[in-house]
Amino acid sequence: MVFPSEEWFQQVREVYNSDRDLHSGGGGACDTTAGFSVGENRYFIEFSGLDCAQVRQCSEEDLEVTDFVLEMPLETWQAMLEDVQKNGKASSNLTLNSIDLELEEGIAFSPVDDQYRQDLFYRYNQNFQDFFDASSRVETTFESQGN
Amino acid sequence: MSEATEMPREHELDTSWMDNMAEWGVSAKPGKRGLTLADIQVGSYGELPKVSDNMTGRPRGSTARPEAYRVGAYQVHTLSEIWLENAEYLYEEALQRQWSSATDIPWHTLKPLPDDVEEAECLLCTFFNEVEFVAGDVPARWIARTTPDYLEARNVLSAQVMDEARHMDVFRKRALANGGGLMRMSGATSGFVGSIDLARDFTEMSTRLHISGEGAVLTMFRMGELFGQNDAEKTMYRLCAQDEARHVAFGVMHLRCLSETAPERREEIECYLDEAEDQLMAGQQNPAGRQSESSEALAVLLGGGIEHYDEGHKKLLVIRRRQLKEYMKRVISAGFADRFENGRSPVPAQYAATA
Repeated sequence: MVFPSEEWFQQVREVYNSDRDLHSGGGGACDTTAGFSVGENRYFIEFSGLDCAQVRQCSEEDLEVTDFVLEMPLETWQAMLEDVQKNGKASSNLTLNSIDLELEEGIAFSPVDDQYRQDLFYRYNQNFQDFFDASSRVETTFESQGN
Repeated sequence: MSEATEMPREHELDTSWMDNMAEWGVSAKPGKRGLTLADIQVGSYGELPKVSDNMTGRPRGSTARPEAYRVGAYQVHTLSEIWLENAEYLYEEALQRQWSSATDIPWHTLKPLPDDVEEAECLLCTFFNEVEFVAGDVPARWIARTTPDYLEARNVLSAQVMDEARHMDVFRKRALANGGGLMRMSGATSGFVGSIDLARDFTEMSTRLHISGEGAVLTMFRMGELFGQNDAEKTMYRLCAQDEARHVAFGVMHLRCLSETAPERREEIECYLDEAEDQLMAGQQNPAGRQSESSEALAVLLGGGIEHYDEGHKKLLVIRRRQLKEYMKRVISAGFADRFENGRSPVPAQYAATA
């Protein structure tokens, strides 16, 4: 599967939803919508209860209704996912929260500039981490590798 | 002959209690998250009185018993005093996102640390032990002061007490698990943090605790993934941060609800925010604030040792900047943006000074 692509996110969603062992302690019920900004591509994700209800490619406008958006350089996404592939889960310096703190402006923002909604990234951080950690079971190649 | 009292062989069964049912025939349906508090807001059971005259502990919606004692002179008996839009949801979220400090932290990843780093971590653990005591004790007092008619908000506070108990124990466990121990107490509980317990009004307490205090601590816990020296510490801080974000959400949503339903109290709330900004956001009791033992410990940890203190201090300033920014945006989200535009709040100037 090539990252970034809708197929890649769909595959990760299937893995995440199919195995509760991938939902670590501190995860649990989560209801939020979020966006991922990956290079030129945009993705919309919805968590509902214990599942990832949907993930799909979307437009920039679609992101405006999300609670928060995670945006980082393509090479940072790639570094994070390569680390997940290598270690089975993100190692401590490449978790979403660590990356957010390392960058002065962070990676999470609310499209409507509402801190309450941006705080959902902090409230549900473990679910998002578990989701990306589930990609360790998805064979991943990257656009930059010429696929 | 037996001296036992002879019981009448027959007595009339009194089933009049069967006639005292409240609204009947209710069939709440579970949703995809099970049967939640939101799902049972049906009929009269979901009707929240704007002012509660319930002083007997009567469960909301049940039939009153005329001879019931007045067991609670509930101080919080007006809806706007404590309500928030998503109380039911926050409570269910708290229940479903509990974690165990015994088994969900990879304690096996703890490794012996250099003395200065271990001492810095143990100082922070001591500090967090102190402040989490306050964060548990204070909501606990307010639960008993709140009418049972507002059970959803009470339950969120009950869940918070459990969260804070876990935070206390996880920091205590960390301090005692890696060759260190507790350090000298910071004394934070005698200043602004302690003053949270002096609040005489629920919103005064919530503004101090949830918005100012826990908002500042939330940034600290999130920062734990940067200064944690191993997976055990990083996990500990990350899971605490999730809980703390939920507590902050309670405060923001309550303040937003109050500002919309009781606008006559806005100036009073501004005064609570004045006090918090003068003390906690700027003061020594904020580990990311002015120089204090705990901010020095943070700088040691962020730098990776006392010899890299300056490097750690630079990182601390960046995080301090973010702490101020997030605080302002939460207050704006709660409906109090004006104070950052009309010069009332000192925080914009503090924020600018960190650039």
